[in-house]
Amino acid sequence: MVADLLKRLSTLAIFLTPWLAGFALFTAFPFVASFALSFCRYDMISSPEFVGAQHYTRLANELASGRAFGLAVFNTLYYAAILTPLSIGLAIVLAVMLNWKVRGQAIFRTLFFLPSVAPVVSVCILWLWLLDPRDGMVNYLLRYAWVGPFNWFTSPETFLTSGRFGSKDGLILMGLWGVGNWIVIYLAALGDIPHSLYEAAELDGAGPLRRFWHITLPGLSPVIFFNLIMGLIQSVQAFTQMYVVSEGVGAPAGSTLVLSLHLFLSAFQDLEMGYASAMAWVLFVLLMTATAGLFYSSRRLVHYRGAVR
Amino acid sequence: MTLRNVGFIALFIAAVAIVGVSQWRQLSQQPIDDPREEVIFWHFWGGRDRQVVEDVVRRFNETNKQYRVRAVAMPGNNLDVKLFLSISGGAPPDLINQDDPLIADWAERGALTPIEEIASPAEVAELREFLFPAAVRLTEYDQKLYGVCNGLDIRALYYNKTLLQSRGYEAPTSLEALNNIATEFTERNSEGRITRFGYVPDARRLWAWGIVFGGDFYDEDSQTPTADDERIVQALRWMGGASNRLGVTTSDIQAFRQGDQSLPGKPFPLLPISPDSPHGRYALIIDGQWRVRDIMESYESRTSQNLPVAEIGVCPLPPPQGGEQNAGWVNGNYFIVPRGARQSQGAWEFMKFWIGLDGHQHQAAKTCAAGGWIPVSQRVVDDEAFQNFLNEQPLFGEFVALAASENQHPIPMTPGAPYFNREIKQVGESAMLHREASAEKLLTETNDRIKHHLERLKK
Repeated sequence: MVADLLKRLSTLAIFLTPWLAGFALFTAFPFVASFALSFCRYDMISSPEFVGAQHYTRLANELASGRAFGLAVFNTLYYAAILTPLSIGLAIVLAVMLNWKVRGQAIFRTLFFLPSVAPVVSVCILWLWLLDPRDGMVNYLLRYAWVGPFNWFTSPETFLTSGRFGSKDGLILMGLWGVGNWIVIYLAALGDIPHSLYEAAELDGAGPLRRFWHITLPGLSPVIFFNLIMGLIQSVQAFTQMYVVSEGVGAPAGSTLVLSLHLFLSAFQDLEMGYASAMAWVLFVLLMTATAGLFYSSRRLVHYRGAVR
Repeated sequence: MTLRNVGFIALFIAAVAIVGVSQWRQLSQQPIDDPREEVIFWHFWGGRDRQVVEDVVRRFNETNKQYRVRAVAMPGNNLDVKLFLSISGGAPPDLINQDDPLIADWAERGALTPIEEIASPAEVAELREFLFPAAVRLTEYDQKLYGVCNGLDIRALYYNKTLLQSRGYEAPTSLEALNNIATEFTERNSEGRITRFGYVPDARRLWAWGIVFGGDFYDEDSQTPTADDERIVQALRWMGGASNRLGVTTSDIQAFRQGDQSLPGKPFPLLPISPDSPHGRYALIIDGQWRVRDIMESYESRTSQNLPVAEIGVCPLPPPQGGEQNAGWVNGNYFIVPRGARQSQGAWEFMKFWIGLDGHQHQAAKTCAAGGWIPVSQRVVDDEAFQNFLNEQPLFGEFVALAASENQHPIPMTPGAPYFNREIKQVGESAMLHREASAEKLLTETNDRIKHHLERLKK
């Protein structure tokens, strides 16, 4: 019996070792090392030199002044706070529509999913063309609505502050184009909502909107919650699209300098690995806090269909 | 034996075979009986430039009896990180080619071997005398040469000669003349959309205009940034005032400029885009010598299709009164020898061969002519091989003349130069985007930030 258990454990260990070794080497160690380095001055060549909380003080000062890290935090929050709810809303609406039993349903589902498998850099190039202020299709179409033209990727303006679309809004539009992954998750969740609930509601005289509000949305709420957290993390960590559209520097005038890009420039152009590590840890703490807050609020907002909690 | 096991064994054999063949191919390229010392050379060249590099290496290997260079093409992205890791790991290459303004940063961190430690004092003196002043400035930090410049990138003003002459204008020789051309040739169509700018400053060109206006971004003596120099303030004010002078909005300028250079497939904006008109989107534009190739290709393509063509000229950036003649911002490619390189002497021999020092000027002239690169020395320019190239590409001559000028300056050689560079570009953008912004205030704030950053690095 014991021998059998030991044999099973040794087999388990053999199969787990490659993964554990990789995890220890490439995830756990850098994770701990970056925390230690956040208290040091380090440029990858010289030995790390302990500087105390200097980098964190600098981050606090920059946050207060709204420059560098402060600007990056603002840009990141703007991007995440608008893109995440919009993505969720759009994905739910599209998923509900793609769930309608119409001819060509599979084709529509494929079409909406396709953009999410396109490489990010290609998508950026495509959107740079689409949002070209003079020759782009988006401004061309907006002309018919007597709106615009907007300088999407050449203006630091934001729609919320000036009523005119700018570079961050362009990035949000690009982000919305890739909601295909989320649609798939919502479609799976929609299939999971018992049909009997809709029948009962219909018998009670509930219209489509009421059924959507009282059955579909609560039924989707665990998935919405999952996507909210994942979306928040993804949008706070977004890097490639900002790097491509801003020629790697957060142009124009720092309006696309998000946290991940600022971190990259500090670490690999300015060789301030300690400062970049401190920033990464602040980012980690912010995300953890936001996620914890969301989990706390989810108790009242997410419906787990009778699951014991 | 089950079918699954057979599959596993077949996969294993296939993997071993693939690895074996690739190793054999790699080994077969290395002559095992070559007694010469091997010099490992990292570079980032791609496309047709890579062929030129490989040809230089081949010619060096054919003539040098002591050293043999092995060129390793590396992706340009994060080359610096790879270098640092190789230095930390004790296995750096012997030579690297770079083009970012990183010399001072890396030298300060002890990542580079000064040329003074590789070459004799007489050789260093000869090298300094051999190079154009701009080529020395690009690699000099703390009064030492931490690299050897092997090609200069010069910016000048391209102008559409045919278009200008059609209204009695010539290439501008003063800022006032440039302003007149900018206004005269800025045109709108019947819908009010701008179809051409005579000239509009690019936010990234504050480096160039600041120098042309006579400004100095850095005080070498006190080791402090001086981006708020009065001449630079004037340059920024002039850049930010473009929309007022041209009677357009800043939004018009931003919309017009989008994708001038960044998008794939967008042609050099001075070149025609329509089959009917020989003129492009600008009458004047600043760009580097590599555009000569684009102009020649466009010219040949259009003449072969019997389409109208315009004559393009090149001139120096016109200064304001009291500004600098033949001035501008320069960058370029340079060799560096990492700290801990095993074959620094071999690297030095290869550098001399490439740039044309020590009697190699004919080889260097051939290299520059093949790549369309600007030599780093007048001796190479004067070589017959390069003179023949200039006869074929007369536009190139203006860039070569500018390369020899005393007034071509790179980004200041100071630790923190990448940050300095980003801040200067960003202040240019801010001035171009907000015409009400005070140039003086913008530059004072920018200079304070740069100063603060550099001081932090010094600590």
